[in-house]
Amino acid sequence: MATVSVAAPAVLHARDISLGFGDDTILAGVDLEVRPQEFVAVVGASGVGKSTLLRALTGLLPPQRGEVEIPRGEATDTRAWSMVFQAPRLFPWRRVRANVELGLEGLALSRAERRRRALEPLALVGLEEFAERWPSTLSGGQQQRVGIARALAVKPKVLFMDEPFSALDAITRRHLQGELADLRQRTEAAIVFVTHDIEEAVLLADRVMVLGGKRGDTPAGVIDVVEVDLPLTARREHAEFANRVQAIEHLIGPGPAAAAT
Amino acid sequence: MKPLTRSRRSLISAQGLVGFLILWEVSLRAGLLPGSLVPLPSSIPGVLWAELIDGIWFEVVLSSLSHYSVGVALGSLLGISVGVAAALVPRFDALHAWLARLLRPIPPLAWIPFAIIWFGVNPSAAAFIISIGVFWINYFASYSAVRAVDPGYNEVAIAFGQGHFLARLTKVSLPAAAPGILGGLRAGLGQGWMTVVAAELFGIPGIGQRMMEASGLLATDIVVVYMLTIAGLYALFDFIFMAIQRRILRWQP
Ligand SMILES: Nc1ncnc2c1ncn2[C@@H]1O[C@H](COP(=O)(O)OP(=O)(O)OP(=O)(O)O)[C@@H](O)[C@H]1O
Ligand SMILES: [Mg+2]
Repeated sequence: MATVSVAAPAVLHARDISLGFGDDTILAGVDLEVRPQEFVAVVGASGVGKSTLLRALTGLLPPQRGEVEIPRGEATDTRAWSMVFQAPRLFPWRRVRANVELGLEGLALSRAERRRRALEPLALVGLEEFAERWPSTLSGGQQQRVGIARALAVKPKVLFMDEPFSALDAITRRHLQGELADLRQRTEAAIVFVTHDIEEAVLLADRVMVLGGKRGDTPAGVIDVVEVDLPLTARREHAEFANRVQAIEHLIGPGPAAAAT
Repeated sequence: MKPLTRSRRSLISAQGLVGFLILWEVSLRAGLLPGSLVPLPSSIPGVLWAELIDGIWFEVVLSSLSHYSVGVALGSLLGISVGVAAALVPRFDALHAWLARLLRPIPPLAWIPFAIIWFGVNPSAAAFIISIGVFWINYFASYSAVRAVDPGYNEVAIAFGQGHFLARLTKVSLPAAAPGILGGLRAGLGQGWMTVVAAELFGIPGIGQRMMEASGLLATDIVVVYMLTIAGLYALFDFIFMAIQRRILRWQP
């Protein structure tokens, strides 16, 4: 966002990381620095390693090479990072509110504070009155929103989102994209947002990191980082919007499907 | 074919049962079945009453219940603990895998000689034998239930600061595996009744011993009374268990 001073210390540093499974490296040489409240989108073809990159950045799957640093900070009632997964992954044996409280357990909070901290983000995603429901009684879009509330509840410095809207129908997706564009102005968190939808990336992000370039045994890498640099309000209608999308499409190229023919 | 309504289904089931009893009674009275080998169904309530006012019924049922409950409780607790631990700790899994494979095919009743040597002919021996069958059922049920838990849930737990062993055990593994673990517990409750009678046949007081006594006197009606007693107790326990299970698993759609 424009209001962020460049001098503010980064909330995430990743230096030259490589990641993969076993001896197989799928993504190499990724550098990423995220400033407070910044919104970075990561785009790339299916299977390029976007989900794996998030798992490497968070330490869920330690990188093969390089370092990631997410400064922990002093606070005992927040977490440094949290995550919205590609599927909602709510615990079906917990009610909605208890699901949102998951990350708050073990923090220095009283029971009442925990409850309040869970209801706040639930209200933000418009699901306050669903707090005492079982997840199985919610629609897919509502479950995804609970997943977002769960991630927001811990007031993370960095919020990772892995294609949070890709499993949803077009109408719900549009709606939630709008909510997220809104939300990013009301939350303290920086957001690292994975998507294969380039329009979505340009719509929401300050910067778009484009992954690709895998050829044979050479792992994929960062092709370019594109500054979006458009106002957030009515961005989709902005004259430059389509140009930005096209520029990124051009960077990614025809994709593996076309290359194979 | 059209599915039956619930009440209609119950009605037909009741008709089937009554029809069976009538057929049985009539065949005996008509001399188609030898009365020395099979009792008259109509004589059973009277015999049950006699056993009840004698106090014998309560005595043997209480005695069986006491080894049954100790055996089932012990077997379930150990079975679930070892099964869950094996599913969560690869080292422990590997350590006991062959041992488990060796011991598992041994039927509970094959332990009777050791039970008598270790405990003597007394209720502890029966409880020990009951616990063996119950142990294996719970062990395998909880092992496979925990192994089948979606690893995605564990990733969620780690992402939200609940990654240490105890938190994952109580917040992911146990609740996620609860349906399977409870299924094992329930099967164990049934398995326990099967071994309780067999374990008592070698002289430990209880339902099984009473049945052996009666069969020695060709008192087939008394044998049937206790067969029905076991069926009734099993149904009661199962009913109570199902009520508790429904409460625990009320989150299931
Ligand atoms: N557990 C795993 N073991 C081995 N290889 C894996 C594993 N998970 C993913 N991969 C491989 O790593 C590559 C990147 O997977 P990843 O899930 O990160 O892709 P993605 O960019 O998120 O794709 P999508 O857009 O379809 O979600 C794929 O080629 C995949 O086959
Ligand atoms: Mg992915």
